[in-house]
Amino acid sequence: MSYDFNIESPQTADELLAVIAANQDKNFRFGAGGTDLLLELKRAPQENLTVVNLAQLKDPIFKSITKVAGGYRIGALVTAGEVLDHEEVKSEFYTLWEAAHNLASMQIRQVATVGGNLCTASPSGDIACALVALHARCEIINTKGELRSVSVADFSTGVRKTVIQKNEVLRSVVVPINSNPNLHSGFIKVGTRLSMECSVVSLAYHIQMDDNRTIRHAGIAIGAVAPTIKFTDSACAFLIGKSKLIDTEREEFAGLISDYASPISDVRASAWYREEVLFNISKGLME
Amino acid sequence: MKINFTINGKGRAKEIKASTLLIDLIRDGLKLKGTKPGCFEGECGACTVLVDGHAINSCLYLAVNVAGKSITTIEGLGGEDQFLDIVQEKLIEHGGVQCGFCTSGMAMSIKSYSDKCKEEGKVPNRNEVAKSLEGNLCRCTGYVKIVDAAISVCGN
Amino acid sequence: MNDELKYIGKPQPKFDAKERTTGRSVYGHDIELSGMLHGAILRTKYPCAEIISIDVSEAEQLAGVECVITAADIDANKISFKEDHPVLKSGLVSCIRDEIAAVAAETKEIAEQALKLIKVKYNERQGIYDPFESLEEEAVQINQWQPEDSPKNVSMTFEYEHGDLEEQKSKSKVIVKRRYHLQKMTHCCMGSSNITADYNPAEKKLTLYCGTQVPFLYQRDMAHCLKMDPSRIRVIQPVIGGGFGSKLDVNPFEPICAFLSMKTGRPVQILYSRYEEFLASPTRQSMAIDLTSGADENGRFTFREVEIIKDNGAYTSWGATTPFVMMQTFSSLYKMPACKLTSTAVYTNNPNAGSFRGYGNPQATFSVERNIDLLAEELGMDKSQIRKLNSNTPGEITGQGMHFRTCGLLEAMEIVAEKSNYESKKDMEQSGRYRRGIGLGSMLHVGGGAKIYRSDGCGTTLKLDPYGCLTIITGSSEIGQGSETVLAMIAMEEMGLSEDKIKIINSDTDVKPWDVGVHASRTSFIAGNSLLGAIGKMKEMISPRAAKLMGVEIQDLVYEKGLIRCAQSDVQIALDKVVRDLHFMPPHELAEVSYFYEPPSKYQDKGFKGDVSGNYAFAAQAIEVEVDTYTGNVKVLDVWVAQDVGKVLNPMGLQGQIEGGVVMGIGYGLTEETQMKDGYVLNPNFHNYKLLTASDVPEIHFYPVETNDPAGPYGAKGVAEAPLIPTAAAIANAVSNILGVEMNELPVTPERVLKAMKNKSELTERLV
Ligand SMILES: Cc1cc2nc3c(=O)[nH]c(=O)nc-3n(C[C@H](O)[C@H](O)[C@H](O)COP(=O)(O)OP(=O)(O)OC[C@H]3O[C@@H](n4cnc5c(N)ncnc54)[C@H](O)[C@@H]3O)c2cc1C
Ligand code: FES
Ligand code: FES
Repeated sequence: MSYDFNIESPQTADELLAVIAANQDKNFRFGAGGTDLLLELKRAPQENLTVVNLAQLKDPIFKSITKVAGGYRIGALVTAGEVLDHEEVKSEFYTLWEAAHNLASMQIRQVATVGGNLCTASPSGDIACALVALHARCEIINTKGELRSVSVADFSTGVRKTVIQKNEVLRSVVVPINSNPNLHSGFIKVGTRLSMECSVVSLAYHIQMDDNRTIRHAGIAIGAVAPTIKFTDSACAFLIGKSKLIDTEREEFAGLISDYASPISDVRASAWYREEVLFNISKGLME
Repeated sequence: MKINFTINGKGRAKEIKASTLLIDLIRDGLKLKGTKPGCFEGECGACTVLVDGHAINSCLYLAVNVAGKSITTIEGLGGEDQFLDIVQEKLIEHGGVQCGFCTSGMAMSIKSYSDKCKEEGKVPNRNEVAKSLEGNLCRCTGYVKIVDAAISVCGN
Repeated sequence: MNDELKYIGKPQPKFDAKERTTGRSVYGHDIELSGMLHGAILRTKYPCAEIISIDVSEAEQLAGVECVITAADIDANKISFKEDHPVLKSGLVSCIRDEIAAVAAETKEIAEQALKLIKVKYNERQGIYDPFESLEEEAVQINQWQPEDSPKNVSMTFEYEHGDLEEQKSKSKVIVKRRYHLQKMTHCCMGSSNITADYNPAEKKLTLYCGTQVPFLYQRDMAHCLKMDPSRIRVIQPVIGGGFGSKLDVNPFEPICAFLSMKTGRPVQILYSRYEEFLASPTRQSMAIDLTSGADENGRFTFREVEIIKDNGAYTSWGATTPFVMMQTFSSLYKMPACKLTSTAVYTNNPNAGSFRGYGNPQATFSVERNIDLLAEELGMDKSQIRKLNSNTPGEITGQGMHFRTCGLLEAMEIVAEKSNYESKKDMEQSGRYRRGIGLGSMLHVGGGAKIYRSDGCGTTLKLDPYGCLTIITGSSEIGQGSETVLAMIAMEEMGLSEDKIKIINSDTDVKPWDVGVHASRTSFIAGNSLLGAIGKMKEMISPRAAKLMGVEIQDLVYEKGLIRCAQSDVQIALDKVVRDLHFMPPHELAEVSYFYEPPSKYQDKGFKGDVSGNYAFAAQAIEVEVDTYTGNVKVLDVWVAQDVGKVLNPMGLQGQIEGGVVMGIGYGLTEETQMKDGYVLNPNFHNYKLLTASDVPEIHFYPVETNDPAGPYGAKGVAEAPLIPTAAAIANAVSNILGVEMNELPVTPERVLKAMKNKSELTERLV
């Protein structure tokens, strides 16, 4: 078996849903930017595969970032590059911007999509990690045109597994607007070099503070330290109502984050290192 | 399947397989060998070409998706009548070329980034320029002279 | 002749830069010959196994397959430095790289598919992956063709000694002994390995298009392997996408490709994928170095005693001879009264190591420079001071017999200390998350070739055409390092020609004169001197005729702007006119000369003593780094490099070599490692083998030191390997200084940094 497949390139959302419906008893995969999919298919070719090519879809919901009631909707086919060029994303959701900013390279960012990053369901998916921290929700559409909404934190159910059913496709994500004026938001990616890194540990944080700089809302997610990206509930709760942390609190806070980690050792780093670093950068987060 | 596209300013129609990668269309189908195969996994950037003016890795891009689009490879960088584009001139002037295997890809990335900067009316700093080249590996030069060349293109 | 140089010493863009930047250069990957087939190689599934059977019948039947070969189908001599490497394996496979069968087919895809149809039955065996285990008594013999005269699993040993070790030990106030672990590293040439073999059965001639760095040795070695007459083999070197030492040996895929072409009578091309490149191209040797060194109460170095165990892998390459270079550093970097070295290259079931830029010297220098820091600490001396105190000096003949006619080491060390502001940075207060500090390293390397083969020479043929254009046919090769440009500059300087009147031919063994190859930073030095000799001969031919035509004295002639003019009057004549006169007027001579240059260096004696190089290069580096104590990441901020280059020939090319070398050295120091487990390569891709990118590059400040060596062309020394040699050492020294730990293993990964910090704090806790 060698690398080969058929292709369907729907141009509209209706055509897309029709293609999905027509392929229900066949082996098919979606392809958006293709940066994960093509590598996977070259490594492990599949027999009688159809790629449902999303790259030529012209649908505005799939393809754009728009303001909606209570948040921003980001289409599944919005690329990392487009995220970077969006001024409001940068000012409102810096963690997402920074995740996109440090994703791979300029060339990959040109084609890699938000939807692809979520659907590939990698524990080290950077955009996915930021979206978890932002409490974003996925909007999934099925062949009947029905929409359902799932929080990004629950979207992935394991390495390379998501809640998407065979008759569904990820259409968009909605990021809720900030409820407080002051933000401490960013994305920390740990690896051996400055760029082109698959995160060894990643940490997305989006902390909202009121006018007195008291923390009112916190979203912290960690990647590459468990089979899925983790939202660190108890660490977030710990911050609410505080403004600055003293030394011992910082350690406690870091401990709460670390509790969510169950890392493995692989060629990039040992479990020991991942734990150690996660603790350290968590501590550093509130310095 | 048959696709129509523009390559280096000229319209072409070509029969391809659904799974054909853009790099194979360019090197084997169109016999433009200036685009280089370095890794086939999106890591090295030697295969970088422009699609509608934007740098992409042709090894991770389906050829079907250039239908109706315009591709520029190193052979077409200088345009119809120019022999050397400013990117090429600056790479030569600054000594940014050693073995040359990364050079085509570097040139295309610099082109894409400098055009974007010009469009936005922005003069990037050294770190920003270096960042735009992170997807292009070079084993020979240590990047300094390539970044120098890119800076002088962007500053123009 | 150094007075009024017009081109030498001025920045000159690369001769071939226009071709490279326009995508017109033809690399091996771009060759398409008519009727060409595509070859692919089946490699073993296990690093150590017995092959029970190979069934190629299904593969042979696949449409589009022209030929399938296994060891049974070829009549070949073994390759490699010790002739211990069969090109196709039968019986036993000994490392994960091992070639079992090969296919030639109409397309790459068919060839790949055919490989999947070959059925091999294995009986897996327990391999040995640690050289120390290979040396144990009960270990099995790994390579059945290993040299008979050496102990089991030993491929090669080197023993060296000078001075009175015991006496020097007794003079020592401090003695430091450490073990250093150095990793495997892959060349990562951007253009992967490739070959196109074209055998013409009617003529019985084989043309090989391949990226070797040593075309003439290669021609001989291939002929031996293929059992052919060398003169029937023509080696054509297409443009090479990087060399760095990786193309010094004949590797199995090359004769395999030749056999496929011989069997099919058609051209066959083999291109490595990146995965194959990581798996199957030789690496820098990993080794353990036990270094003991001493200093007296004044800080003068007394002795070095070294034991090296090198992981040779399953077969022996040129890389096994790296101790030859390493011992120069141990015996002669800094003044050294006594030195004793033993080095053992040990077979394991790992892929075989090869040669790599620096040729063992980065490893040796790492251990020497780390030990110096430790000696200084024990003595309570300044680390820059102790180095300067022990610096080599001009005129010195070292214990190994190397004669440093010129030596800019002291000056180089002074420059980097001053420019880096070493004094103010060496003992910076360390606290907080980010900590900064500085480290030092120096190096010594051959600068005028290295006579390890019978000849270290290079031939040049020059041809002036009737239009005044000079063709330089040089034995040397261009692998991106810019030697062509330097040769063109020399010709421009000496013949008074412009760049567009110079052509260089250097890629065809049927045409070019003999040369030993590109390595040992030798090309500008040796090929440059060879060209200068040839130009001298050319002028002996041109000048008398010009003088006669002009009616002036020979000694008054000046070559300039394509003319020959008289220095005393305004008489002049166009060079092309003189050439035409030579050609067309009796006695009808061609304006063509040949010259062979053999450097004055000596072949060393049995004890490895002798003046092995035409001259010697020195360099010092100071490197400032910042350590993130939360993540262990080390960021290199600034690198100050001062290097004794003899004379700057092309400042632009030189700077490029320095920057490229330093960045490669940083990679060696911080991120690059071919990771192995039980004989398998764990990171055979750019995703997990971490090359640095543009954002990781620090400021590199370069200060050439010109010592005008009498042996070099215009006083120049070889430069290309030096910049990477001391870099990793200086980085490890900086990190060790900052954290108060010992980084004695490369690469200095974030994980190792955090581990070292952790161990230190646990130790202090225990002591408290
Ligand atoms: C060199 C390199 C570096 C990389 N670096 C990073 C990095 O730094 N950080 C990081 O997070 N990732 C990185 N990646 C991974 C990858 O680029 C990202 O995950 C990217 O966002 C994937 O997007 P895509 O559009 O290319 O996905 P595709 O490859 O097109 O698709 C990925 C998966 O999602 C499915 N899919 C795509 N869209 C949908 C949809 N709308 N609905 C349902 N399923 C869908 C596909 O079937 C496939 O299984 C890197 C990849 C490469 C090659
Ligand atoms: S060949 Fe495409 S990125 Fe390396
Ligand atoms: S010039 Fe050789 S890889 Fe960049």
